[in-house]
Formats: sequence, structure tokens, C-alpha cells
Amino acid sequence: MEPTADLPLLEVEDLRTTFTTDDGVVNAVDGVSFSLARGRTLALVGESGSGKSATAYSLLRLIQPPGRITGGRILLHSARAGTIDLTQLSDHSDLLYKVRGGMISMIFQEPMTALSPVHSVGSQIAEAILLHQHATRAEARQRTVDMLARVGLSQPEQRYDQYPHELSGGMRQRVIIAMALVCRPELLIADEPTTALDVTIQAQILGLIRTLQREIGCAVLLITHDFGVVAQVADDVAVMHHGRIVERGPVRTVLKAPQHAYTRALLDALPSRRARVA
Amino acid sequence: MTPTDPGPLLSVRGLAKHFSVPSRGGRLAPASVVKAVDDVSFDLAPGETLGLVGESGSGKTTAARCILRALVPTAGEVHYRLPDGRTVDLAVLSDRALKPIRQHVQMVFQDPFSSLNPRMTVGAIVGEPLVIHGLARGSELDDRVAEILRRVGLQPEHARRYPHAFSGGQRQRIGIARALVMRPALVVCDEATSALDVSVQAQVLDLLKELQGEFRLTYLFVAHNLDVVRNFCDRVAVMRRGRIVELAPAPQIFAAPQHPYTRILLSAVPSPDPDVPMNFQVAEELARLDAAAAAVAAAAAVES
Repeated sequence: MEPTADLPLLEVEDLRTTFTTDDGVVNAVDGVSFSLARGRTLALVGESGSGKSATAYSLLRLIQPPGRITGGRILLHSARAGTIDLTQLSDHSDLLYKVRGGMISMIFQEPMTALSPVHSVGSQIAEAILLHQHATRAEARQRTVDMLARVGLSQPEQRYDQYPHELSGGMRQRVIIAMALVCRPELLIADEPTTALDVTIQAQILGLIRTLQREIGCAVLLITHDFGVVAQVADDVAVMHHGRIVERGPVRTVLKAPQHAYTRALLDALPSRRARVA
Repeated sequence: MTPTDPGPLLSVRGLAKHFSVPSRGGRLAPASVVKAVDDVSFDLAPGETLGLVGESGSGKTTAARCILRALVPTAGEVHYRLPDGRTVDLAVLSDRALKPIRQHVQMVFQDPFSSLNPRMTVGAIVGEPLVIHGLARGSELDDRVAEILRRVGLQPEHARRYPHAFSGGQRQRIGIARALVMRPALVVCDEATSALDVSVQAQVLDLLKELQGEFRLTYLFVAHNLDVVRNFCDRVAVMRRGRIVELAPAPQIFAAPQHPYTRILLSAVPSPDPDVPMNFQVAEELARLDAAAAAVAAAAAVES
């Protein structure tokens, strides 16, 4: 295993993901390249159909037919497992299962669809521990209860046995975050993690992700359409349009002095930047 | 008030909507009452845009539905001024008496995907209110549909197509055309731009503003997104737990919010300016606000 400490955690090179439909071939991800350093937060920002979610799903090899990755490399320089090109793993390889949820985890926009309605929230988190770490059931339960407390749920012992429908949207998203981070991944992919939430709940969830990111030291790839969220939580930003990254750089540089016409147009469309309509 | 001022178009007084929720304590336990809307009052001047903002569960949508009489309010008055100058209380009118008034009050919905019938052509969707109210038929119906489609930035030819052929922004234009074909005076927009991408949202807001001038519309604009309301509304009412906590001109709400809840809410909005930090501590601040309110209520109870 080669040492990976000097390398960025993630290097994506010329990634291409296409969907073949009756109407032709859609290049959802059309030659995307970026790298993400350990512990940093990169935001992929764009409108619907820009390819930001397709990029995220490609990283975890979650693209389903009729879509497939048709080119490029996704290099994960894991401190635990060395360098892995995720595009080269077979769909059912043990290594891919170890990557998913172990080295890279993902939180989704709609917490209800990411949770099983027929299992208690605690058992769903404990399952991740049992899959990825050496632990007995009792240890997994204890670690789960600790994690539920860390994401800010009161009475974590009781919460363990509750079902998703008994929790509010904000609490469900805390459960998802607990599930994603309990195995201390090196990379967290957050796909619109607060889009479905009220603004005061969003503030709490973004604060929580930030705190836990520092504790665990993981990098975050944040998929969002919201430049406000980008400005407040990301270090770097890549603006996507039609499957390509049109502009990339530190958040302050891109938001304060956008170079690309599309970035400028998006920023000008923000309600807070638009002049009062007479 | 000038002598010619006819007064507000809509005057809401003490509006309340309570839902009884079955208790978890079994069949015999008393049901608890949720006050979704609790003593809401405001006036809406002709041509004005009032934003009704709040988080989920604040009662903003329930209040709007009571005003439209999609729900029957538990209490309160909803005075609406008709074009002939008469004022009616929408809260107590019978369904039959309401029907002719519905042409004056229309709604634009949030989800342009679920609010349009996929089996109807755009022409049938937009023309349906005219048919229901018996206001137009035949070539006159076609002409009015074509005319309103043009006004909202679509083509008259689009009348023959089905909703699935249109993008989210175009569907929202179809929804707006359906509302405006009746030539209403009051339009209630319920999260009308929330499902749209930011660039499309900007276009739809511009369109609504343009149409407001053209058709002399009055808007009640229900939204959770404070940023959208900021530049679109003349006045803003902030709702929490069924009540309006603050109602003021939009620039004042954003520059100098008076109520602590408004201040907390605004501080939680992530600014696209990296130099304007957002407040991650809202949970603690809301808890302090509620604790202070509870202490005041307890003290008042002791006094009396």
C-alpha cells in the first residue's frame, strides 16, 4: 500500500456518465475533473439537470441503467486502504462495499426515503457498524446510542427503538447524519442535505455537519443549488452547467468575483441580489 | 386616507382555524385542539403585495386556505370588497353564494407538476374556469385562452399540447394563465416559486410583477423563503404557531426587525455573501425566546 497522506483524498479526472434513453444519449456528466483535500468542504453547485447529483452518484457507483460511467477516473486516496480507482471496481466487489458507508458515506435530500420505515432508527445505524467495524451487537448498540446523542437527539436510549415516522423531518435528518458518520468515513457526500428543511432547522443541521466534520476530520462534498449554503459552509466551490464544471475556486473568489458568465447569471438571479422590483 | 380611497380589498379580522386531533390516550381520552391559525388580522390594499411568511406548521397555508374558503374558518371575518363596492364576509357565505365570488379570487399553486391535470390539454386547463363559470365558449373561449397564454409568455399553439411537454417554469406559467384567465382582483400565490430553480424563479417573479401592473392585481404571497419575499412584497407578515408575530413594510422587516422571532428567523438564512456569517445557534435562541415567553405568561397568571 502506497502512502497517501501527501495526496488529496479524492481526484476525479475527466469523469463521464451517460444515460441512454429513447430520445438519445444524455451526457449527464461530461468530462468533470476536480480534487478534494482531506478535511475540506467542496460544494458542487448548479441548477436541476446540471449533473451535480449524477456526479455524486457516480462517485459511489450508484448510477443505475440506463445510465453508466463511460469514461474517466475516480481516485480515492484512502488513508486506510490506499489508492482505489472507483471506476474500475466491479459492481459486487467486496472493496466497493467497504468503500460505501465505510470510507465514503452519503446523506440524501429526503430523509424519509433513505430510512427503512419498518426498522427502528437505532437498528439501522447499528447495522452500519456491524457491517463495517468489528463490534458485537451490544457494542454496536452502545456506539449507536452515543452517536444519537452526538447528533443532538434527546433521550438517545429511547430514540434507538423509535421508528422514522415517529420523528420530525429535522430529527430524521439527524438520524441520517448519525448513520453516515458513525463509521468515521474519510469522505461525506451530502446531496442537498437541508433543501427539504425549514430555515431554522437547516441552520442547526448545517452547524451539526460542520461540528462533526471537524471532530472526525472527514472531507465533505456538498451538492446544493443554494449559493447561501455554499457561502456559509464550503471552502471551495465548483459551478456545474450541462454536465460540466464551468468555474471552480475558493468560495470567496468565485462568489465575490465570478469569472464565468453562467456563474454571474446565477448569482444575479438570487432574490437577495436582485433590485427591488418596482 | 384620501377621500376617494375605497378602503382595503381584503380585510381579515380574528381569523382562526382549529383542528381537533385524536388523543393518543385511547378512544375515551379527550381530543386535543391544534390552533393552526389563531387570531390573525390584516388588511390588503388594492394593488398591494402582502407576503405571508413562516416555517412549516406556522399556519400560513391554512390561513390562505381559510381566506379562499378551501377551509371553513373556526372563527373570524374575511371581508372582501366586490367590484361593485359591496363588501361580503367570505367566512360565512354559503357555497352557492361563494361561487360567483370565486372568479374574483384565484390561486397559483406551488407544484407545477401535480397541480395540472396530465390528461387535459393546456387549452382545456386554462379555459376550464371560464367554462365552469359559463363566461365563455366556442371561439370566444379559444380567443381568451390564446390571449392569456400570450400574456404569460407562452404561445397560443401551446394550447393543444399536454403539461408533460413543458418545463417547470413553463408549467408555472400555465398555472398563472389559468388563474388570470378569470381576470381576478386577488391572487393567492401559495409557494408559487418554491419548486423552481433560481433563474426560473426570477423569471416567474418578474412575470408576476409585470402582470400585477397590467391586470391591477392584488397578491397574497405565501412563502417560506424570506429572500423571495424581500424584494417582491410591499409588506410582510411573519407567522409563528398560528399567529402573526410581526407585520411591517418589507424593507423594515429586513433592515430593522422588531420581534425577536423575526430576528432569529432572518439570522438563520444563509447569506450568499461569505462575509455575512449565518447564525448556527438558532435552536438555543428559540429555546430562550420560548422560555422568556413562558415566564411572562406564568407571571401574568399569578397576577390575575
